[in-house]
Amino acid sequence: MAEVFIDGIRYEYEGEHRLLQFIQDLGKEVPFFCYHPSMSAPANCRQCMVKVGQPVKDRETGEYELDENGERVIRWFPKLQTSCNIMIADGMVVHTQETDDLVKRAQKDNLELILINHPLDCPICDQAGECPLQIQTYKYGPEGSRFEVKKVHKPKRVQLGPRVILDAERCINCTRCVRFTDEISKTHQLTITSRGDKNYPIAAPGREFDDPYSLNTVDLCPVGALTSADFRFKARVWEMNQTPSIDVTNAKGSNIDLWTRDNLVLRITPRYNGEVNDHWMPDEGREAYRLFNENRVSKPRQKLDNEQVNSSWNNAVATLLEQLEGVDKQDVAIIGSPHASVEENYILGKFASLMGMNQPVFTSQIEKGKGDGFLITDDLAPNANGCRLLGFEEKDSKSIAAIVKKARVVLLLSDHLVDRGVLSAENLADTFVAVFATNHSETTKLANLVVPITCAAEHAASYVNIDGRIQRTFPAKETKYTNRRLDFEMSEGRLDRYGTSFDNWITEDNKVDCMPLWRFMSSLAEESGLENFSLSSGREIMEEISELVPAFEGVSYEVMDEQAGILLQGVSKTVKS
Amino acid sequence: MSAVDWKNYEPVLIPNIADLDKIDVYIKNGGYSALKSVLTDKSKWPDPKSVINEVKDANIRGRGGAGFNAGLKWSFMPPADGGPRYLACNGDESEPGTFKDRKIFEYNPHVFIEGALIAAYAMQITTIYVYIRGEYKAYIRMMEKALQDAYDKGMIGKNIMGSDFSVDFYVTGGAGAYICGEETSMLESLEGKRGYPRVKPPFPAQKGLWGRPTTINNIETLAHVTSVINRGADWFKSIGAETHPGPILYGISGHVNRPGVYELPSGVPVLDLIHEVAGGIRNGKKLKAVIPGGSSTPVVRADSLDGITMDADSLREVGTMLGTAGMVVMDEDTDMVDMLWRITHFYHHESCGQCTPCREGTGWLEKIMLKIKNGEGEIKDLDLLLDITTQMEGRTICALADAAAWPVRHTITRFRDEFEARCKKSVHAVA
Repeated sequence: MAEVFIDGIRYEYEGEHRLLQFIQDLGKEVPFFCYHPSMSAPANCRQCMVKVGQPVKDRETGEYELDENGERVIRWFPKLQTSCNIMIADGMVVHTQETDDLVKRAQKDNLELILINHPLDCPICDQAGECPLQIQTYKYGPEGSRFEVKKVHKPKRVQLGPRVILDAERCINCTRCVRFTDEISKTHQLTITSRGDKNYPIAAPGREFDDPYSLNTVDLCPVGALTSADFRFKARVWEMNQTPSIDVTNAKGSNIDLWTRDNLVLRITPRYNGEVNDHWMPDEGREAYRLFNENRVSKPRQKLDNEQVNSSWNNAVATLLEQLEGVDKQDVAIIGSPHASVEENYILGKFASLMGMNQPVFTSQIEKGKGDGFLITDDLAPNANGCRLLGFEEKDSKSIAAIVKKARVVLLLSDHLVDRGVLSAENLADTFVAVFATNHSETTKLANLVVPITCAAEHAASYVNIDGRIQRTFPAKETKYTNRRLDFEMSEGRLDRYGTSFDNWITEDNKVDCMPLWRFMSSLAEESGLENFSLSSGREIMEEISELVPAFEGVSYEVMDEQAGILLQGVSKTVKS
Repeated sequence: MSAVDWKNYEPVLIPNIADLDKIDVYIKNGGYSALKSVLTDKSKWPDPKSVINEVKDANIRGRGGAGFNAGLKWSFMPPADGGPRYLACNGDESEPGTFKDRKIFEYNPHVFIEGALIAAYAMQITTIYVYIRGEYKAYIRMMEKALQDAYDKGMIGKNIMGSDFSVDFYVTGGAGAYICGEETSMLESLEGKRGYPRVKPPFPAQKGLWGRPTTINNIETLAHVTSVINRGADWFKSIGAETHPGPILYGISGHVNRPGVYELPSGVPVLDLIHEVAGGIRNGKKLKAVIPGGSSTPVVRADSLDGITMDADSLREVGTMLGTAGMVVMDEDTDMVDMLWRITHFYHHESCGQCTPCREGTGWLEKIMLKIKNGEGEIKDLDLLLDITTQMEGRTICALADAAAWPVRHTITRFRDEFEARCKKSVHAVA
């Protein structure tokens, strides 16, 4: 097998590898800025310098030439090489900064040069704490600077587009952002302007950087040159908790991280999943963080004398039970939701069948022509495939309206059908409508009973994306009834771990008074005398689903976590994107 | 080293013939006979390969500065696969002190055009581009005119001279960037992109213009091809220095009485060039220093020039290079600090900004030089300058960082006393 020697250790390899990526995959490190595994390697930051040599082979025999000690004779490249654009070759000998002083020196020299025109305004820079330049400088940089003359001044606070702001002085010209628009989003909206130490990225004159994926450049930027217009100055990264989750704004199910502080989601960034979204996500998905914080339904609400007022959980259970018992079972319409998780839909379906009611139906939310074949889909809901796999019947708007009209009690799972235009206020006029919702809307306004349920940022639940891949979320923010220190699934940031009860950075204000749907349904089932209904977590529900629903066979949270989602077989080709 | 007989040399690229830029005059004086011979004389040139071999044998070392054997470069082109292949002629000529190609554009454009056509035939190339620096507006127009004339005479186009060889020839103007003289950034510029040098490998012969095999030659190099075909490789090799043969267009500027472009054999003694060819130093002053081949070649002190000739080997002895043979002559009144500041200013202005060491280093060099020039420098700044040059050299994609670093390093080490005299007195006691 082909072999390569890195810092004196022999490694075997197969196939083609970039040297830098190979070193990284081994868990070793070489500092770099411009390289990105999903884009071309321009080798322009010159930071990943290593010493590279190739053994000398005898031309006739093809054998390695040996010196008097029996060691292979190595022909070194005359100059240091950037490891990002060198492909490893059989017999290659590499020395990184760990074993070669010249390499170490070159990396230090390069950092000194990168920093001479960098403003060094880390204390007010949003990137601080997650800044490759800051990290590499601490690790490999010089202790001080010998630069005693004036720095170059470049434009600051440039609004490149609606969502991205440029500070050109911080830019180190790695061209990652430019390459992103050229190679990944293919809008070609950014370029480098000016020459030499005056250059910086910008959109064409009179154009704005309104790429639907523009915020990825903020993640890519290895310094604080590109910042998010929305998130900048909101929080320091080390104060936030980072929780893996799934984008629920469309059917692609991009893998994301939710960044929370004091139980508010402050920003959303993409998380790598080579099978789904690589390193990227659409801007729309990031703006969804507001849905987790704002306009939330907190406490059940009930209509009294045509006016919605706050109610209690006991009251909500009792009211709903009363309504369900007061009508014929066939007069209850249960509407599932492509916006809710597999677990939530399942529990609704389970309740319906145990009670002998009609199985839930659902309607998908499609906006024709919105999809771009990349990470934005026509389907605006994250889990239409989940509903289909659970066996829910898919209905068009008209049929849903007819079903609602016919029914006397409607259970509606977090789908704002009035806002979507599927239902009108008249459709709901003579019916008792109970809505399980996360956010207020026109639909919840019309409801007789609004039960607040946890959102994707508050519970662990799974979603089946457009390609049939089931992936799950983790609870990122606490509700009134959860506790970060007790729930092992929840991330615990620095502030949570080292804080005391006297600290004022965690308040009760941002905890929503809501419950997971299964918790509410369990109470309801218990009150209605159903046995064997108690299901206490998403994990437990998924275990039951995988046992009872053939399409979900073998699915469990453990396997999903290990494999970054599971591709389900039951999704038909016509359903796929 | 044998003395080169330069006094009896008859110029072939820029002979003393009036109106040679007109195609009729050029043809009357034997023009396009080399092309005709290559295309039609099957006994002498059985196949394109034979042309490459002749040029390789002549050892025309690239006149753009790198000095690589042109024929050898041609032989790197992969075999023709039916797809487009390009010849890109580099007339960017933006190295300070260099102005030889403009003489060809202005005075004898067809000798270059003919050479390019021969090169295209030898490498089975279908399209030729000539890239001329943007500042040469007049020459871009002249070249367009010359190409149109050649098209009209049937020298360019379909089935040239009845052969099955067809080629197209285009002129492209630069937009005023020094970096576009670097061969791969010239390709980027030709493609309509920002002039950023490309990472090599892949080399242009594999993936050049629009990802297709491309050869890049200097204008003067291609002009020499015409004379090699006309007079043979042996004639070419018999001229000038052994390891760097053939005529060279010397562009002599600076404090001399007769600055200009002179076509002479390679290997002319530097002092002969200054004192005899260029008429000696202005106002009877003494010679102080010479930059032999464009601003990036290290400056040489006058006192080390005895017996040094204009060829790569001899110049290496005094720690410099032939470069483009654009010689800058400086008399005893020249302020080396000012001179070096001007050079650092140039490279700071022209660095494309792609690689860190060059982008940041060139600016730093200039700012320190400005400080020293204004009398505010300190001795430690000189050592810092030398340090920065080592931080830049050999660590970038193209050679601009080297070109910026060498003059600084060598001017300071060779004229250190002058630099120290301009610095502030050290506040530290010297033991």
